[in-house]
Amino acid sequence: MSNVDKLLAKFHEAATNPKKQLDSYLKNGKKVIGCVPVYTPEEVIHSFGYVPFGVWGADVQIKEAKRYFPAFICSIMQSILELGINGEYKGMSAIVIPSLCDSLKSVGQNWKYAVKDIPFIPMTYPQNRKCDSAKDFLNFTYGKVIKNLSDIDNIEFDDKKLAKSIEVYNKHNAAMRRFQKLLSEKPVLTAVERKDVYKSAYFMLKEEHTDLVEELNEYLANAIYDGSKTRVVTSGILADNENLLKIFDENNLTIVADDIAHESRQYRTDAPQSNSALDSLVEKFRNMDNCSVLFNKDKVRANYVVNLAKENNAAGVLMIMTKFCDPEEFDYVIIKKELDNADIPSLQVEIDRQMVNFEQANTMIQAFGEVL
Amino acid sequence: MYTLGIDIGSTTSKCVILKDGAKEVAKSLIVAGTGTDGPNRALNEVLKKANLKLEDVSYIVSTGYGRKGYRLANTEISELSCHAKGVMHLFPKVRTIIDIGGQDAKVLSINERGRLAEFVMNDKCAAGTGRFLDVMANVLKLDISDLEKEARKATNPVQISSTCTVFAESEVISQLSNGSSRENVVAGICKSVANRVATLAKRLDIKDEVFMSGGVAKNEGVRNAMEEVLNTKIVYSKDSQLMGALGAALFAYEKSIKEE
Repeated sequence: MSNVDKLLAKFHEAATNPKKQLDSYLKNGKKVIGCVPVYTPEEVIHSFGYVPFGVWGADVQIKEAKRYFPAFICSIMQSILELGINGEYKGMSAIVIPSLCDSLKSVGQNWKYAVKDIPFIPMTYPQNRKCDSAKDFLNFTYGKVIKNLSDIDNIEFDDKKLAKSIEVYNKHNAAMRRFQKLLSEKPVLTAVERKDVYKSAYFMLKEEHTDLVEELNEYLANAIYDGSKTRVVTSGILADNENLLKIFDENNLTIVADDIAHESRQYRTDAPQSNSALDSLVEKFRNMDNCSVLFNKDKVRANYVVNLAKENNAAGVLMIMTKFCDPEEFDYVIIKKELDNADIPSLQVEIDRQMVNFEQANTMIQAFGEVL
Repeated sequence: MYTLGIDIGSTTSKCVILKDGAKEVAKSLIVAGTGTDGPNRALNEVLKKANLKLEDVSYIVSTGYGRKGYRLANTEISELSCHAKGVMHLFPKVRTIIDIGGQDAKVLSINERGRLAEFVMNDKCAAGTGRFLDVMANVLKLDISDLEKEARKATNPVQISSTCTVFAESEVISQLSNGSSRENVVAGICKSVANRVATLAKRLDIKDEVFMSGGVAKNEGVRNAMEEVLNTKIVYSKDSQLMGALGAALFAYEKSIKEE
């Protein structure tokens, strides 16, 4: 096995065995805090010495969570609660659930009753990020998260430690952005390998993940690409199902950039310099944009996706639509229109966390590849 | 040079053999789809009709739901591309294709260069597909081929839900219980399919001419209802079901030339 294969195997192992990762941290005496999509202040959690651990659910059959949710709710949320009820997150000291969409709000409310052994920490974000009052609001709500985290072990919050954690996260962001840039220049990884790099980040301490990504980046920088694949951009909330991603590889499509919440959207914005580390985190959230759950009345995300496709010389855009995700469905209409105006072919593929058969998606993606 | 296209659908298997990518030598259609002996029977029949052996065929392209598992094929191409190719070969003025098969419905938009530009496809739901008509014919104790004859006799088609096959089945039973005539119920079923597929079609810019392919295109009741719902004339061929296999045979010719 070559060095790069060994490296990719490490990403794959972490991405596909989150329970093993969780148990390993717990065994080493670490406290682990669950982080529910789409954005949580991981830097704050990290500054307490806890492990921020991504909780995006999994492709499982939903049984127990149906007691709490209607059938027409996003399956990511349903599967998070299902796994919580089934004890997959056992050992976590708390779970931070943000309020970025209506479904997320109900996850938090249901979590309190369904999973009593893992305390729920709410993270409320302001709808309007740019106005001055958003700063006060964020300071207040981050303060509430900090208070809840402090109570776990009676540890005082330290702004200097937060500054160090922000450094760790900004460094990781930079490594992930370079990874994406290198992959756009030389898309030599399969869609599944690419996914492993993004997904493993949720189940590892960021400093550990940064080291692995930087090593991979060195390989990518020197890789040779024959230019034979059709370049596409993906957009959506989540695209981590291997059966779906294999279809890309089977049809010679390579993902050269993405606008996926679970992937690149996490790494676009660094926390900037500010008066305090907490202010810096406040500014980070205020600067974030181009995301279906971050309100923007001008809907600038549509142009963002168009430009992403153009800048990366993509032949087309695949909109991976998570079923019953209202924010993404609202944005889709606007994005589709802008893509059409820019003469960029696009295809919408609907997925959910309970899909077993991808035959129709296969036909659609294959035909899209043939059109391109 | 002989090339063969085989379209392995969910309920039927179809083959077309072409000579030099232009002349149709033979065709076959067997009512048995993927996972059955249908593909082999369709192949044997078309070879027999063409008076050819398998080794006489230079290149085979498979398409349809069972395209990936067909080992005799040199390559496989999606049914969307093949239907577009087949239809454009025979009807070059067509700009929109509505293909309703056994378990899915697709609407294809053809650009000015005669190439597939965009498409939409139903997902995870049998409403508006051949399966929907199968289920309804079964409820009415009719052969599926008799649906169009019944629809022709309708005087006042009933309204049937176009959103769910299971609920629509209950609706059909209720309509019959309430005294609606069988022909009016059948016409309502055809309209339901047309409504369902029309909502799909309207996501694209429907341009004339509009062609219907796939097994459901044989049903005059659905074709008429589609014309009414889309307010346009529907072009149709008695070989509508074979368009995918024809397109596959055309691709087979092109690929064979390219590889030579």
